[in-house]
Amino acid sequence: MKWLQSREQRELVEQIKDSRLRLYRLAFAWCHDAGLADDLAQETLTRGLSRLDQLRDSARLMGWLFAILNRCWIDHLRGRREDFDDELLAELPSDLPGPDSHVERQETVSRVRTAIAALPLGQRQVVTLIDLEDFSYAEVAEILTIPIGTVMSRLCRARASLKELLLEPPVAQRHLRSVK
Amino acid sequence: MNQPRDFSDEHLNAFVDNQLGVQECDEILAAIASDADLGQRLCALRSAKELVRHAYGNVPPARHRLDRRLPVWCGALAASITLVVGVLAGWLGHQATATAEAPGAATSWAGRVFAAEPGRILIHLDSSRSEQMDAALDLAEAYLAKASDARIEIIANHRGLELLRVDTTPYAARIAGLKAQHARVGFVACGQTIARLQGVGVDVELVPETTVARTAIEHVAERVQQGWTYLKI
Repeated sequence: MKWLQSREQRELVEQIKDSRLRLYRLAFAWCHDAGLADDLAQETLTRGLSRLDQLRDSARLMGWLFAILNRCWIDHLRGRREDFDDELLAELPSDLPGPDSHVERQETVSRVRTAIAALPLGQRQVVTLIDLEDFSYAEVAEILTIPIGTVMSRLCRARASLKELLLEPPVAQRHLRSVK
Repeated sequence: MNQPRDFSDEHLNAFVDNQLGVQECDEILAAIASDADLGQRLCALRSAKELVRHAYGNVPPARHRLDRRLPVWCGALAASITLVVGVLAGWLGHQATATAEAPGAATSWAGRVFAAEPGRILIHLDSSRSEQMDAALDLAEAYLAKASDARIEIIANHRGLELLRVDTTPYAARIAGLKAQHARVGFVACGQTIARLQGVGVDVELVPETTVARTAIEHVAERVQQGWTYLKI
């Protein structure tokens, strides 16, 4: 049968299968819950496969899938909160405990994940799409359906927070240093 | 006379993320040479970026949840029902999906590659809710009643596997009846879901009409590749 011979078909299906780990990783960076992240990745793949006719350019497969992941994530959050709206999304804090409760965990990965989890969700999405997936600002704007200026401002705030939490000495230490 | 140029954080982030043009990059690189603070700001932003990459270089393995369903499925169900209605309406009107688009219309790339062929339907069930199990079987029966030579498969994973497990299915007789009447109907279980259940000590016995695929997603992907119409219940 001719459809089995199409290189394009085989490649696209392979790309979709291979995308699962990337979708899972990003979903995990957003929610820090392995079970939920896997559900979100699975739902993204099933929605994607059922809507393949909406994919207009094979080269943009990953951006298209991440946009679906974003919708799955929003649907999940909407299911948890009746008063949810897109404005709330931008500022929605994490469900995870903040960095203070992890103050004794000095291992770098844990510290960084805790700092990411403490970011408002809108910032968390932007910084992970850019840093983990190397999307351009324009691509992130398209995936999250927000203006590119919002992408830049959220990224700026996210990196400033990460810098403060991870790269600068605690306030008390800074004060002591200045007293010396 | 030359004051150091004050670059905004947005601008420096764009530099770190390789979002600037050649000329703008050159301006920043030239400024670093005479502005130690600028170098430090860039270094901090670059470090923050590398820390994020490092933190998610190795994520914990996916852990499937057997005990709860996401509210996210609710939206999928609504979408699926719409899709089902659309497919059935199209079929009843004797219009093949592949011919629905006029030649020269702005068809999508994937749409051209994966033009669905009529008569082959893959129904995906991932819920153990009785109304969704019912919907999957109803759909298969309705389609086969109109086209007895159609090929229909129900692929079950996650909690949807309960449809095909001997100790949980309320529809063993209905499944056996469908298979007896229609040799081309198939029931496929997700091997990954089975392995996961067995991993937590569940003894999984499937109804005899069932075959097992390695994973549900791979099976769906292969069927879509082969031109099947995919419906998520």
